[in-house]
Amino acid sequence: MTFSRGECLIAEPVARLIEEFSKLPGIGPKTASRLTFYLLRAEEEQARALAQALLDLRERVTLCTRCYNITVGELCPICANPARDQTRICVVEEPLDVLAIERTGVYRGLYHVLHGHLAPLEGIYRENLKIDELLARVRAEPVDEVILATNPNTEGEATAFLLLRDLAPLGVRVTRISRGLPTGGDLEWADPDTLGAALEGRREL
Amino acid sequence: MYVSQLSLRDFRNYQRLDLHLDPGITLLYGPNAAGKTSLLEALYFLATTRSPRVSADRDLVRWDAVGEAGVTPFARVAAEVQRRAGRVRLEVIVQRRADEAGQLSAASTKIVRIDRRVVRAIDLVGQLRVVLFTPADLTLADGPPSERRRYLDITLSQLDPHYVRTLAHYQKLVQQRNSLLRAWRERRRPPRAVDEELAYWDQELAAAGGYLLAERLRAVRDLNGIVGPLFQAISGGDAPLTIAYLPGFDLEAAHDSGTLATRLGEALRAARPEELARGQTLLGPHRDDLAFTVGSVNLGRYGSRGQQRSVTLTLKLGEARLMRQRSGEAPVLLLDDVLSELDAMRRAHLLEAIRQPEQQTLLSATDLSDFNPAFLAAITRLRVEDGRVYPG
Ligand SMILES: [Zn+2]
Repeated sequence: MTFSRGECLIAEPVARLIEEFSKLPGIGPKTASRLTFYLLRAEEEQARALAQALLDLRERVTLCTRCYNITVGELCPICANPARDQTRICVVEEPLDVLAIERTGVYRGLYHVLHGHLAPLEGIYRENLKIDELLARVRAEPVDEVILATNPNTEGEATAFLLLRDLAPLGVRVTRISRGLPTGGDLEWADPDTLGAALEGRREL
Repeated sequence: MYVSQLSLRDFRNYQRLDLHLDPGITLLYGPNAAGKTSLLEALYFLATTRSPRVSADRDLVRWDAVGEAGVTPFARVAAEVQRRAGRVRLEVIVQRRADEAGQLSAASTKIVRIDRRVVRAIDLVGQLRVVLFTPADLTLADGPPSERRRYLDITLSQLDPHYVRTLAHYQKLVQQRNSLLRAWRERRRPPRAVDEELAYWDQELAAAGGYLLAERLRAVRDLNGIVGPLFQAISGGDAPLTIAYLPGFDLEAAHDSGTLATRLGEALRAARPEELARGQTLLGPHRDDLAFTVGSVNLGRYGSRGQQRSVTLTLKLGEARLMRQRSGEAPVLLLDDVLSELDAMRRAHLLEAIRQPEQQTLLSATDLSDFNPAFLAAITRLRVEDGRVYPG
């Protein structure tokens, strides 16, 4: 939605915010206008809090330098927690998968987030994933087991295959979650019980 | 199995329909574009989650359908299917999607339910088994190979949940592998470590492809036991019909899934230079074909129009018989305006074939003069006019 600013039918800051809201996924011009006028009438504090939250999102959220999960600061809370089992790394595709596995409550090790899966169709190749970073960790850290928890679909399996091939020469134990997960499914949507069972029933690769 | 109840809402030209169906033969008659084909299409859609006519699901939603408050327009198809194992209720909703400006977009979403429980679309396939025969099928023998592969795939997908899942997986693998090959060919990616990058896709493609090949070969073998004599009867001819499976590489007489996978893997490695040059996957079930021969004559290439029609009719009836043979239950036959396309002898064979116990058939025709009074007296008639169905 565009406003011809020359006509000045609507104050410029209002038009600008409507336009910015309209760019967000799932928000049409009507919703954008409604949100804008709501904020215009709301307490000033609420607008400030929203603005600060948006700025923080971009400025403070980074990737954990160890596991590449999204975090604030150098290390994510999981990597920074010495009580976590330092000998296990669970490899997932996306940060949301970490949340899904944490919800099961059965896993106490560390994570590694690849940020995607192998998919030539989408132009995603090995070099676009945090695979070399994982190999470096396995070499440097006291890792006994790498658990491959990529999604049980075509692309997730392709990624697991690649990881196994790269990890095998490092002499680390590699397992794959499997049991109970519907093929073609996404980890993010699996219920905690099913996912928990899949983790406990992981198999040797 | 048979469909006892069909309900439509804003599907094609039907605003609302609640139709009770009998287990035997039902004739749908009425003028062109009245909605006869849409009823058959609705059942085919419930069986396969695809429409035989359109590529985009959104076209199934009635053109002036209005959604409810805050809901975009949707079409709903539901049926009750009586099977030996019990009654099952199937439902598919196709809902149009709005873009960010609130206008209806080209996209749609599909919600599938079995006994009111939401499932994936792929889980619906096989719940209701149908054989659809339309005038478009009359080119099955001499049309493009994709139609003949589709014939086998639709039959096997409805019979075996593992087949339909493996087929979907295989098609994804081919797409991913083709993207990789194309990227190399178009120099968007340096052709380094080609074998390593293809290793996974080759291994999976061979495994899935080997299974699909084995199942298709087994289906062709079973079909040959059925269609040979059937064709002789239908064509009133001398020699039986033989179906041959034509793979793109030498199978060396292998027929089990594991050996076929090994053969496909070897063939892919041998075809590597050509695949890299052409930027696509050149071997596998997605490239294969069927040939129909009588005596030594290839009917696809040299058959008369009449012979090719006999081939289609034989294949459709053969498909139904294979389904009955393997599952112990007859599929629902959907015959869309095909009687007028057949001569008297082939028509008689078709009507004979559908007059079997435990065989539900829905057939459409524009007028009743194609049928003799005795046939009409023994069946259920429904008159279809302008998106409404009247007892007939
Ligand atoms: Zn971390």
